[in-house]
Amino acid sequence: MNIKILDSWLKDYLDTKASAKDIAKHMSLTSISIERVEPYKNDFVYDIEVTTNRPELMSVIGLAREASAVLPQAGIAATFRPPTSRPPSNPTENAPLKIINDVKSIYRICAAVMEVSVKKSPSEITERLETTDIRSLNNLIDITNYIMRTTGHPAHVFDYDRLVNHTIRIRESKADETITTLDGKTYTLLGGDIVADDGEGTIIDLLGIMGLKNSVVTDKTQRIVLFIDNLDKHKIRKTSMGLGIRTEAAQMNEKGIDPELAMDALLYGVSLYEKYADGKLLAPLINIYPKPYVPKTVKVSIEKIQRIMGIPISLKESKTILEKLGFKVQTAETHLEAVIPSFRADDIAIPEDLVEEIARVYGYHNLPSVLPPVTTNSITTFGSNPHYWETRIKQALKYWGYTECYTYPMVSEAMYEGPLETAIRLANPLGEEFVFMRKTLIPSLLKVMQENKNVETIRIFEIANVYEKNGQELPKEMRMFAGLIKDKKINFFIVKGLLEQLASDLGIKHLTYSSVVNAQLETEVKIGKELLGSIEILDNDLINFELNFELLIKHATLHRAYKPLKKYPPIIEDITIVVDDSITTGQIITAIKSADLLIQEVTLLDKYNDARTFHILYQNPKQNLTTIEVASIHKKIVELLHKDFKARIK
Amino acid sequence: MNIKNNAVSLILDAKTKEDLDEIKLQFLGKSGTLTTTLKEIARLPLDQRPIIGILANEVKGIIEDAIETSLANFQVKKIEKIKKLDVTEQGIRPTLGHLHPVTQAIEEITNIFEKIGFSRERYPEIEWDWYAFEALNFPANHPARDDWETFFVDQAPDPKKGPALLTPHTSSGQIREMEKGILPIKMLNIAKTYRRQSDVSHVPMFHQFETLVVGENISISHLKGVLDYFVKSYFGEDRVSRIRPYHFQFTEPSFETDVSCGVCNGTTRLANGEVCRLCKEGWLEIGGAGMVHPNVLRSVGLDPEKYSGFASGWGVERVLTMKEGAAIDDIRLLYANKLEFLEQF
Repeated sequence: MNIKILDSWLKDYLDTKASAKDIAKHMSLTSISIERVEPYKNDFVYDIEVTTNRPELMSVIGLAREASAVLPQAGIAATFRPPTSRPPSNPTENAPLKIINDVKSIYRICAAVMEVSVKKSPSEITERLETTDIRSLNNLIDITNYIMRTTGHPAHVFDYDRLVNHTIRIRESKADETITTLDGKTYTLLGGDIVADDGEGTIIDLLGIMGLKNSVVTDKTQRIVLFIDNLDKHKIRKTSMGLGIRTEAAQMNEKGIDPELAMDALLYGVSLYEKYADGKLLAPLINIYPKPYVPKTVKVSIEKIQRIMGIPISLKESKTILEKLGFKVQTAETHLEAVIPSFRADDIAIPEDLVEEIARVYGYHNLPSVLPPVTTNSITTFGSNPHYWETRIKQALKYWGYTECYTYPMVSEAMYEGPLETAIRLANPLGEEFVFMRKTLIPSLLKVMQENKNVETIRIFEIANVYEKNGQELPKEMRMFAGLIKDKKINFFIVKGLLEQLASDLGIKHLTYSSVVNAQLETEVKIGKELLGSIEILDNDLINFELNFELLIKHATLHRAYKPLKKYPPIIEDITIVVDDSITTGQIITAIKSADLLIQEVTLLDKYNDARTFHILYQNPKQNLTTIEVASIHKKIVELLHKDFKARIK
Repeated sequence: MNIKNNAVSLILDAKTKEDLDEIKLQFLGKSGTLTTTLKEIARLPLDQRPIIGILANEVKGIIEDAIETSLANFQVKKIEKIKKLDVTEQGIRPTLGHLHPVTQAIEEITNIFEKIGFSRERYPEIEWDWYAFEALNFPANHPARDDWETFFVDQAPDPKKGPALLTPHTSSGQIREMEKGILPIKMLNIAKTYRRQSDVSHVPMFHQFETLVVGENISISHLKGVLDYFVKSYFGEDRVSRIRPYHFQFTEPSFETDVSCGVCNGTTRLANGEVCRLCKEGWLEIGGAGMVHPNVLRSVGLDPEKYSGFASGWGVERVLTMKEGAAIDDIRLLYANKLEFLEQF
């Protein structure tokens, strides 16, 4: 969460000659990130990113205290000027207020009843609020925001005369109770939200999040209750996120605010109402604080400090740094013990937390930069490394003209293939588009095609996981490799050829292809008996394929067996045969090859009507072939084809 | 005489070098017309032999000359043809596809880390809460664990490991890796990650790269060493890096890592004097890092008094767009799969 504050505001509590730029630089390096410093009139505005573990730094006072600790480490003199809260003037005691608390998750309530006059805030307040991105309304409201930003504790103000019984009863909401917030919006509560009612059941406040219309101050307000409530951060987040009310107070309260701050915030608020709203206290201050903060102690050894930082820092230097940050420190021979200040109670619990404090203020930029000495003993792998093959396949596809896509694995119901009962469904999807975890990549690639309607020729592919239910276990994740081609000139054999050439590059032999029974447009691809995937013809100009990537690379190998170079030239012959349609080319090639060992290669050269021409390469590695030998093999082929397929030579 | 005329006219008609070779063979070859004629001279009456012999040899010379001249002409014509090429016409290109920019970034990142001894591993994308949160020291009610930030799978939770979810970060791989019980560790995990978000700078699926180093005496200085090496290798030698305090549940201390801005060179001002809008005071955030939290080491049975380690988890899209000088202004473009976009990489 980011906050903005004026440099001059910070310097109300920080005594230093450091420039805004220097403050920003050193705070960023050692504390929290001051992301930008923007000039503003004769001043500067800091834009600060406060991490969730440091909510006390969402305040001018918190930042001033932190800056006074870290700047001297960079050689810049700086001292913290803590606010001095003077005791308020004696109350006139004519305005009673009863606060009843029934809720365990309330840590502290501080409240004051005051007589006030409503007016516009002076420019010194409005300017500071507006540069911190808070809209100025009137002095009564502005002061609550001013308290929040100065002290870091959110504050609320009620119109005392609108609290019919002068009672505030804090309780948990029931489900379906409705409220109208001060901005006029109505909400139905979820139940279990921390609310205040008027003692008779009417809700008058959504604690820690937003005031309600029925109790908020108006132009006519004469008496107020300044109300500082400190409560459980998880309750706040649940209500705030559940209702979608993300006020600044809610965002601060959900990070946890130091309850020790509450009384200081109240006293500061009272003084502001006195100064800017003609305020007079009408009743004794209320302070409900069932379990006051008990300081914790954390111990850390010098060995640990040095090991994590990687330098031989001393106990003495470590102690000095922690003390600057508000810890009380005692050292022994090998370790130190630090008492945690209340405003760091949520953040510091273990020795490593103290090491972080010491190391960051020492300055991470002052630590050396060294590559780690450990080397794993794992060897470099190629052939057994799936990443190696993935890269190799992607590169091949790229140079064959295919473009890689990355699509979302979450798909809509319409895009999900297969029965929905066995689908992996997200419990909290982000819209209907992303409900199921996909089982195939093809619908995603088809969607890419639709999104590129104007492109005539598309060749795309993706390698990504698909998911499958696996009983009570984690879903199975399988890596798939899919492609889609839209091209007027595409045909099955171009896609088959792509897979064949890829297999050949991967050292895979013997891919087999067969039409799927009852699905004429789908062809199964197998390695041995294992199903690798399929090629599917969707249209005259549209074909896709999807292969099991893991199975593919399981068979991939870098091993290449060397065959001696051939010394004797081959003899080539083309044979044209006429054979029935039902006989596949694959069957014929297998048959021809079986005729003699000297047949090295058989390919289909041409197909015309019922005639098919095969290109046959004869070669003997040991000696020159004679025409007589070839003639005798040719005869064997002819006989075989006739016997097996009733084929005749043309 | 006929032989000569035939030969010369054929030579003049010849279109290619092969035609000429054929003609040469036809007339001057072993059984060529002229050769046969010359052989027949022996059968002629003695007085006619010298005349015919001279004539035949003349014819042979003429044919040879004609062939030679014609060959030279071909060479000239070929050169002329080449000279006439309009070289400004477009070339005939081999096909070229494109790898997704995220793949290209992942390749570079992998190569950089492998060079300093990291090995790339892969872990589940759909994971138990235990690996994604619980073992990483996330408190039960941490905001990241609620329905607004993380995708959960509609499946009965495991009695020990909690609900199944889509990994919101690559850090779940830390637990998976340490669980193997083999030390020291120098792991690189690059994977898909998921969060419930979608706007100009967020997409519901993105990629992170995670490093994890665990061993004896691993310090913040080592994390700085790895960060510096990566930044200079990936972004360029003139870039510098820094770490500064941050907060994460599973590291202590925790850091945000920055790289100096490549647009203003870390000066916060552009060449024309304008304020650099890209960076924050001269720095760009890369992502988180930190020393492995002792509770995380304990969750996998490692003794934090003996072992320490560091981890970093950075966005692939983040470093990719930073490298491209933030020219990709809407991160959703990366996953819109417009070919016009993909073909630029």
